[in-house]
Amino acid sequence: MTSLEIEPNTILVRYNVEKEKSMSPAEAAEELYPKDELIRPIAEAIFEGEEDDVVDGLQKAIDAGKDPIALIDDALMVGMGVVSKLYDEGVIFLPNVMMSADAMLEGIEFCKSKSSTAPVAKGKVVCHVAEGDVHDIGKSIVVALLRANGFDVVDLGRDVPVDEVVEAVKAEKPMMLTGTALMTTTMFAFKAVNDRLLEAGIKIPFQCGGGAVNQDFVSQYELGVYGEEAADAPKMAQAILEGKDLDALKKQFHTH
Amino acid sequence: MAINRYTKMAYASADDMIFGNATAPVKAGLGLEIGGGYTVPEVNYAPRPEAGATKEKLVEEYERITRDIMARMVQIGAPAVVLETEHVQQMTNNPTWGGEVAAAQKAIMEDYHDEYGIKCALRHTPGDIREDRDYLQLRGDKYDVLMESFEEVASNGADLLSIETMGGKEVSDYAILRNDIAGMLFAIGYLGTTDMDMIWQDITKIAKKNNVISAGDTDCSEANTAMFIAGGLLDKNLAHTLAIIARAISAARSLAAYEAGAVGPGKDCGYENTIVKSIAGVPIAQEGKTSTCAHSDVMGNLVMQCCDLWSNESVEYHGEFGGTTVQCWSESLAYDCALMNVALETGNAKVLRDMMVLSDKYRDPQGYILAYDNAYKVGEAIVKDANDIYLRAKNAAVECVNLLTNADPKLQMTRFEKNALKDAKEALDGLTDDTDQFVSDCLETYKAEVKVFRPENYDL
Repeated sequence: MTSLEIEPNTILVRYNVEKEKSMSPAEAAEELYPKDELIRPIAEAIFEGEEDDVVDGLQKAIDAGKDPIALIDDALMVGMGVVSKLYDEGVIFLPNVMMSADAMLEGIEFCKSKSSTAPVAKGKVVCHVAEGDVHDIGKSIVVALLRANGFDVVDLGRDVPVDEVVEAVKAEKPMMLTGTALMTTTMFAFKAVNDRLLEAGIKIPFQCGGGAVNQDFVSQYELGVYGEEAADAPKMAQAILEGKDLDALKKQFHTH
Repeated sequence: MAINRYTKMAYASADDMIFGNATAPVKAGLGLEIGGGYTVPEVNYAPRPEAGATKEKLVEEYERITRDIMARMVQIGAPAVVLETEHVQQMTNNPTWGGEVAAAQKAIMEDYHDEYGIKCALRHTPGDIREDRDYLQLRGDKYDVLMESFEEVASNGADLLSIETMGGKEVSDYAILRNDIAGMLFAIGYLGTTDMDMIWQDITKIAKKNNVISAGDTDCSEANTAMFIAGGLLDKNLAHTLAIIARAISAARSLAAYEAGAVGPGKDCGYENTIVKSIAGVPIAQEGKTSTCAHSDVMGNLVMQCCDLWSNESVEYHGEFGGTTVQCWSESLAYDCALMNVALETGNAKVLRDMMVLSDKYRDPQGYILAYDNAYKVGEAIVKDANDIYLRAKNAAVECVNLLTNADPKLQMTRFEKNALKDAKEALDGLTDDTDQFVSDCLETYKAEVKVFRPENYDL
């Protein structure tokens, strides 16, 4: 190497170092855990992403007389709420959310197996990857974040034919549809889905994002709302729950 | 074809590595010698979505793109250019489509070469179509179609053959989202390399038969996925320390193409290519500040350090104020190459290289490791256990972790990045050195955890 050397601070700024929160994730979570001694271990296990500990905690709570289905909202979602809040605040990162979501799903299945009644979700969302496109990591993140925020997700997978998307929307009657695509050549399927839904008289928000998808493209069809980040999916679903219509969603999420 | 692992470095020291020069330069296309003492722009592009409707529309779109680039290169006096056509899926699924596009492009390039003497070559990169809706299908019918696609483009004008293979991606996607170091090693280092060993022997056979170049691969599907999820400084999706560990592992994987007969130039989006070049001495394509049309990174200047081809990754073909996109971006690339070539001519290449490195070396842990001095050390760790595809990948990860743990204090890291690094070190320390045991453990784990993982794709 030549003798060139620099003082990096004169040419770049590590904003992430400067802005890092002073509180550690564990300290931040500590402040948010519920006080109930049966519920708290479950919430902690969700935060830690420890599936076995989640199930152990649930079993103890059920043995102590708690209703399995009520535990979904009262314990699992509370724990996941801590995770979502700290993710939104930038205290924890996505892999923590993914591992917590895995643990939560395991917990929900356990609760369902212990009861004859079905849980009630905040709302249902159908998710898919565009026809012709097999790149699904973005969709996997969207699904995990929606579930982490208490939404029931029907995951159609990847490379989903337009017909199948439309049929699923008719059958499931979701509050929102999401579509992800990596390639410019496959994202055109979103327009076809939009047109087919409108033909069927269905007007639900259709959140589109991923890879080459941009706001200009999504703005070209009536039901389309651009999702720039995977984390926009639960925010959009929440906004719909709060009564926002398509125009209001576009106003909120079309920021470019 | 046999697999010949690299057991030593191509360069005696990191300082010997420089842009525009490879220890094993490659003659290709119409008068080019890549890595032979000068850098060359490599222009990448994507057709407008509506052009994919029919074969005729697609061929016409690529003709327009090719003419636009060649015309602009001549207008500004660029001495050389490489064009890369990354297939849209229709072109690979219908092999004759890709062949017709290659023939149409090459005819235009030959006209320009004949009239102006501009040196040029055409790279074709079929899509890795080896999957169905639910699973990777790395072997079987789709493999045959893919090989047919290579045959068609090679016999119709493509000078350089490349692909971005996806072996291991199903496990990698799972592992990256869960901070799972063992999973990254298994996916990228073991499964990815296993797949590369197979496919690159066959691509090389086709290249030899058609007297064209078996060029190289990139770990786009895994290490770039990690890099993109990691994102910018403020993104909260993946620690950048983990993204660069995935990248270090990927060098052991992308190297496999050259061990199976490829000769370079490696693919542009392989940010691991400096490590690969340090071992194999092959010419490499790179992209950075000129690929902002496609994506953002945090090492836009640094990655030029040892490039032989300088690329823009991909840009959709449409109009801009300064011409079509391919004209604007090819011009930017050509001026970057002119500057590097002036540095080479005037004996200032190492100064320019080190200025580019210092621009980004302390911007992010990823740039720190990919800076050629550290990249070389990762390369040395890989060749130490050259013949064991698990151990060499593990070595790369360990060296990356050690370099970051003992980094120059000028590289500031967040507590989060440091904690992720510490966790990664613990995970690596806990891994066996027994390859058979590692593979056996991973098979058990990921068959259970990753529903779409099919060991038979890797002959396991």
